[in-house]
Amino acid sequence: MPLKSNLFILLRVLVGTLLVVSGLEKLVSPYQNFLYVIQNYALLPPFWEELGARAWPWVEFFLGVFLVLGFWLRWVLRGVMATFAVFIFVVGQALVRHLPVTECGCFGDLISFPLPVVITFDTALLAVTGALYYRLRETSSFSLDQHLSDDGRP
Amino acid sequence: MAKPSRLKWTLSIVVCGVLIVAGVKYLGKAFVPSHTTSAVMRAKGNPGAPIRVTEFIDLECPACAQGAKYLAQFMANHPGSVRLELKYFPLKMHRHGLEVARYAECAAREGKFWPYHDLLLERQANWSRLMDATPAFILIAGEVGLDPQRLNICLKDGSVDALIAQNQMEGEKRGVKSTPTYYVNGKMVVGINSLQSELTQLLNASQK
Repeated sequence: MPLKSNLFILLRVLVGTLLVVSGLEKLVSPYQNFLYVIQNYALLPPFWEELGARAWPWVEFFLGVFLVLGFWLRWVLRGVMATFAVFIFVVGQALVRHLPVTECGCFGDLISFPLPVVITFDTALLAVTGALYYRLRETSSFSLDQHLSDDGRP
Repeated sequence: MAKPSRLKWTLSIVVCGVLIVAGVKYLGKAFVPSHTTSAVMRAKGNPGAPIRVTEFIDLECPACAQGAKYLAQFMANHPGSVRLELKYFPLKMHRHGLEVARYAECAAREGKFWPYHDLLLERQANWSRLMDATPAFILIAGEVGLDPQRLNICLKDGSVDALIAQNQMEGEKRGVKSTPTYYVNGKMVVGINSLQSELTQLLNASQK
C-alpha cells in the first residue's frame, strides 16, 4: 500500500476517533450537561436546544464510527465537513457577540480549550476532512466501502 | 458466498453502536448511589416544601452567583415552596474554588453558612480576581461574626476537606460536570435557564 494512502487512512481514523470520543463522552453523561453548553451559545430557541442536546451527540458518534470504518464515506465526509462548519459558525458567533463562554464544551469534561483555539482547531479539521473528501480514492483504502464494492472502488 | 447488503451492514453498525453506548452508560449508573450521602448538607427553606432543590455549587463560579440571586428571589416570592440544600463542587479551573469552600464549610460549622455564602457571592467579582483571596475571606468571616480562633482550628481540620471531597465525589457519580447543577425534585438541571423553566413548570403544576 502506498505511503500516501496510509496517510489518508490514518487521518480518516484520527478524525473519526475524535468524533467518536467527543460523541461518546456526551452520550454517557446526563444530557443536561450538553444542554447547558448549548444554552451558553445563545443561538437556538429552548425546544431546539433540548433537541440538539439529545440528538447531536448521536450524530457525532455515528459520523465518527462510520468514518473510522470507512462506510458510506462520500456521505459521511460531507456530514463531517458540515459538522465542522457548524462548529466554526457557532463558536465564531460567540466570539463576535462576546458571549461569556469560557470553554467550548466540545469534549465535555475531558479537554477544554478557549474559543479562539477551538475555532482554529475546527478550521484545521475542516481542511483535513476536505482533503480526505478530495482524495476519496486514497481515503477509501482499507475501508468497509472498498470491501463491499465488487470492483474494490468506493 | 454473497456479501451482506450495505443496508444490513448499516443496521448492524447502528445497533452495535447503540448497544455499546447504552452498556457504557448503564454500567456506569449501576455504581451510582441511589441516595445522597449522609454528609451534613447546607439547607434552608421549609423542610416540608413541595419543591426540593439540591445545588452543587462552586462559590467562585459567576453563574452560581447569578443562580443564588435568582433562587433567593424565587424563595422570597414563593415562601414555603422551596427547600434548598447545597453541596460543594469546587471546579479545578477556579483558583480559589477549594479554599473558599473550606471557609464556607467552617462558617457552616459555626451556624453562619448562609450569611457567609451570601456575602461571598455578592463580592465574588472582587475576590475572584485576586491572586491571594485569603484576606477577603477572613474579612467576610469577621463581618458575619465568625470566631477567628475557631475558624483557624476549623481550617486545619481534615474533616472539612473530607466533606468537600465527599460532596464532589457524589456530584461526579451523579454526572455533575459544571456548576451550578441543580437537582429539582430529583431531576437534574444545569444552569439558570433550565432552573427557571423547571421551577416555573413545577409552580404552575402545583397551582393547578
